[in-house]
Amino acid sequence: MQLGNHLRATALVSVAVVVAACGGSNAPSLNLAPADQQILRANNGVEPNSFDPTQQTYTYERAVGIQTFDSLFRAKADSSDVEPLGATSYDVSSDGLTYTFHLRTNEKWSDGKPVVASDWVYGWKHFLNPALAAGYVDPFFDLTIKGAGTYGSVDVSSASAIDAYLNGLGLSAPDDKTFVVALDHPAAYFKWVATLWMAVPLRKDIIEQAAGGSFASTDATKAEAWANNASTIIGNGPYKIKEIASKDHVTLVPNPNYWAPAPHLQQIVLYEISDGNTAYSQYQTGALDIIGVPLADVTVVRNDPKLSKEAKLIPTLSQYWISYNSTRAPLDDKNVRMALSKSIDRDKLVNDIEHGNGKSLGTFIPKGMNGYDTSDNAQSFDPAAAKKLLADSGKAAQLAKMKLITRNSTASKTLNQFLADQWSTNLGVTIQLDVIDSKTVTRNIRKGQFDIYGLDGWISDYPDQQDWFDIFVTGSCHSLNWGCVSDTSYDDLVNKADAESDKTKRAQGYSQAQKKLIDNAVVGFMYQPYEYDLIKPYVQGLTVTTTDDQNLPGDGRYNQAYITQH
Amino acid sequence: MAVTAGRPTRGALLPSQLSAITSTRTGSLAIFIVRRILWMAPILFFVILITFTLMHLAPGSPWDKAGGRQLSDTVINNLNIRYGLNKPVTQQFVLYLWSVIHFDFGLSYQYQNKTVSGLLLESWPYTATIGVLAFLLIIPVGVGLGVLAALRQNTRIDYITMGFATVAASFPNFVIGALMVVVFGVLSYRATGGNFFLPTAGFALDDHLIMPVLTLALLPIAYTARLTRASTLEAIRQDFVRTAWAKGLPERLVVTRHVLKNSLIPVVTTLGPTFAFLVTGSVIVETVFSIPGIGRAFVVAIESRDYPMILGTTVLFSLVIAVANLVVDVAYVFIDPRVRLT
Repeated sequence: MQLGNHLRATALVSVAVVVAACGGSNAPSLNLAPADQQILRANNGVEPNSFDPTQQTYTYERAVGIQTFDSLFRAKADSSDVEPLGATSYDVSSDGLTYTFHLRTNEKWSDGKPVVASDWVYGWKHFLNPALAAGYVDPFFDLTIKGAGTYGSVDVSSASAIDAYLNGLGLSAPDDKTFVVALDHPAAYFKWVATLWMAVPLRKDIIEQAAGGSFASTDATKAEAWANNASTIIGNGPYKIKEIASKDHVTLVPNPNYWAPAPHLQQIVLYEISDGNTAYSQYQTGALDIIGVPLADVTVVRNDPKLSKEAKLIPTLSQYWISYNSTRAPLDDKNVRMALSKSIDRDKLVNDIEHGNGKSLGTFIPKGMNGYDTSDNAQSFDPAAAKKLLADSGKAAQLAKMKLITRNSTASKTLNQFLADQWSTNLGVTIQLDVIDSKTVTRNIRKGQFDIYGLDGWISDYPDQQDWFDIFVTGSCHSLNWGCVSDTSYDDLVNKADAESDKTKRAQGYSQAQKKLIDNAVVGFMYQPYEYDLIKPYVQGLTVTTTDDQNLPGDGRYNQAYITQH
Repeated sequence: MAVTAGRPTRGALLPSQLSAITSTRTGSLAIFIVRRILWMAPILFFVILITFTLMHLAPGSPWDKAGGRQLSDTVINNLNIRYGLNKPVTQQFVLYLWSVIHFDFGLSYQYQNKTVSGLLLESWPYTATIGVLAFLLIIPVGVGLGVLAALRQNTRIDYITMGFATVAASFPNFVIGALMVVVFGVLSYRATGGNFFLPTAGFALDDHLIMPVLTLALLPIAYTARLTRASTLEAIRQDFVRTAWAKGLPERLVVTRHVLKNSLIPVVTTLGPTFAFLVTGSVIVETVFSIPGIGRAFVVAIESRDYPMILGTTVLFSLVIAVANLVVDVAYVFIDPRVRLT
């Protein structure tokens, strides 16, 4: 990249104009409900394990994190690029190794203090402190940011070792409004890393105050003391936490110091109802405004004249696949894997098992982001071709000894029974289900002790292909690449594309890599899941995007939503 | 009473003040209670030992995820260090015991930086409120129905009451809970346009309590009613009751003075465990009605292998059960004169 890549806030300005034009109290066209009714009640399902964004791993945690803290950027609504949040623009050095983020000049914390570059440095270091063991630290920062590569070998019982590691990181603040990140190697995707929910600024003074003074970097308990109390969770996001009612709900209210125009919604209540049916009853009795429809009730909702009008089928940037243990014969033979992949009727899978909530997809990258391309139909459903492949390989008898490892849950058993039936009908091979307790399944697949495992998949962290292709790079074995397929030519393609700054060349590299995944049947690609949500008709102004939380459509831009008279 | 019939009794071996205490009825009761409380220490030790062993034998680690990308070995290693799981298991056990003696139940793995005692204190009041209300419902309704059925044996009242008890006992409470939600929640809301319905989830000290308490109480009511009926029938046939009738006492007096006093003894025996069962929470009721109580927290802790939370909850439950049993044993002294403390 020769020239600095400037991201001027065009998209954001236009949004602000729209809000300003039709917002405010004198806007009869919106049919706004009075301020005391501007409350959105949605179901987040589970209580966040932590309110410190750097410690958040799960979607139900991120759901609160993104309301209370802003990263440098966020994905545009159409996922085509990033748009400004904490930073208004950025430059990349010509060697691609230095990212300079120009921070928003008028940004303030929820307590009114200005956000400065040293807060970003502090927040990112807090995230990368090995003693805190943040769940999502790899494989992003530790392999990308300069000096972060030794993350795993830092002695976490030694404060001086941790401090030396943190001070050696390529993070700096030359002035209050400039945040500079030095990288270990060129990473064209780094602007997307800057959209992640855990890459946020944090307040040193608040954290130390909550800990009762400064503390050693080995002390995880003190470092996290601030994150349990609504009053010390000072963020830079559009909303702040008003109340944490443990295992019941979290109440968010607007951050009065946020840089964007004041939102209509005066309260967002994220409930923690774990049972989908309970949430469904709450929706039907008017106690919730937005829910995900439980699978068992999908057909009922579709056939209900009233509810079906409030339902929305939303694509997610996810894809599911079957993993084959390529270290075990006959699954080391790509033709056997291909035969298995070609004998699943994916349309039937989506319709019968998922009640239509999805899109059958025999390729890797889901619809809705760069790289979506269904032209390679090598894995598409074709029983005759599948049978021929298997017959030619002469390994049918060997294949019949393979087992499908299955979690002891209704969903897993139903799904895997379907897969086994398909193989029996379309391929003439009987594959037994090996039903075991869920925790044991996790342990076994981690250790590579399985034959076939399905379905597993990926939800995009950010709509860039690097987030996807790195899954199957050699060495990523046992974290999601259960089958441990290793292909150095694939690795080369992906590593080159990850670093490539030229958009076209980058896309070509990933395209070739995707072809390898499909043609070698590294995994059997199955379907892209869709979310089926119910939204009350009086909830308006939601911008539903593919990067939203599954059960919280529009949660990336709640500050534009509003409640109408009802 | 230092010496009785030439031989020292056990009491004689105690210091003189203590033996003076044991010589009275309340004194021996106090000794009995103190002894039982002291016995709780070894009981708790074994409860912790067994739970600790089983928990560590169960497959999986607290850092496993049910799906998607697993944590890297590096992060898992650092987490183990952060929570002391890198130490040998025996050392972990000793350390845990040492903390428990100091009333420190440790930090939850699942909820960052939250103490187990804090989490238990946070969720138990919800469970206890519903449990105590259910218990208060069970005694009059369960006992009342049972006595009524027994006194009107083989009449329509008997058949209806026992029919109800059989149905209530055979339906699992998740069916009852879900059914009530549909009928009193969703359908009532639809039929009345939202003017009359019972809230289907959440906790508040108002009509939110009706459905959870009923769901929780229904099975114990049925059980208590059947038990009361059986023991009342037995008591009615006793000679002293016949004598009471023969004396010409009114029914009210026969029932309260002669029948109930005897027929309630087996019922009281079951009330202790029932109370313990109710206040330790029902996973099903708490899940169906989304109540942030301890029953669901316990199951979630087991699923996620949140070791300190599992141990803390088990210790609390054992204490509740031990105390409930102790209360029943003490109550026996007052309702059954035949019972002697040993």
